[in-house]
Amino acid sequence: MPESPSRSAPVAVVAVASWLLPGLGYFLSGERVRGLVAGLTIILMYTFGLLIGGVRVIETPGYGDHGQRLMVVQSGAGEQINESTGESEPAEGTWVMEVHPIDELRNKPWNIPQVLVGPIHLAACWGSVLASRPAAAGSTQPIGVRSHARTNEIGSLFAAVAGMLNLLVIIDASSRAAENREER
Amino acid sequence: MSYLLAWTPFLDPIPIWSNAVWPWMLVPMAAAVSIVYKSVKCRTMSEVPREASVIFATILAGMAAAAVVLAVVVHVMEWAAS
Repeated sequence: MPESPSRSAPVAVVAVASWLLPGLGYFLSGERVRGLVAGLTIILMYTFGLLIGGVRVIETPGYGDHGQRLMVVQSGAGEQINESTGESEPAEGTWVMEVHPIDELRNKPWNIPQVLVGPIHLAACWGSVLASRPAAAGSTQPIGVRSHARTNEIGSLFAAVAGMLNLLVIIDASSRAAENREER
Repeated sequence: MSYLLAWTPFLDPIPIWSNAVWPWMLVPMAAAVSIVYKSVKCRTMSEVPREASVIFATILAGMAAAAVVLAVVVHVMEWAAS
């Protein structure tokens, strides 16, 4: 069933669309079946990774094991004066993503390929942070269980390979869009 | 079985810690990689099912062969050390 690319969007639009929703770039180039097959497979693969390892298999940069923001406190700034109460309290510090974003990404390297899946991954990051927080006030038990060992490795791997495959799809859809525009 | 009954999707990991279960995760991984790779590579989508099946079988056979070779290497090393 040869597909005839009747219309093609600009290459940049195709690339961004492919990232926003896996397979959408092919749709914009008129290759619907290709877009459907590749896109659905990538989304299913990513979802399967989350099913295997649980949503907490996604390690969100800037957030800790309990869903809290990771803060950097400079040495010597142990305490600060609260302006409203006048009392001294521990220094709040600065969010790690504002001061050391590259170091934080290096600490969670799986995120780099996983983010290539698109906004689905960003939603999963948000879900992971929420699931890491305690189920109720005063409780230490998080909503979601953190996977370990093989389960964690396999879940992370599925999500990361889905991202790498989407990179392949982004490049191919953009390349096909460029060829189609040259032919016209 | 009781693990599966208590399982909450996306919040709990799937209980696949057993060495008899987790290696089977290679099958969906190889299938997904084959389908996406051949969807990108093939000129027409009608070629994809056949091409993807061939590469899927090749990946599984390659992985099985690698497992056998590694198992033999481990046994040889154990035998040499004893």
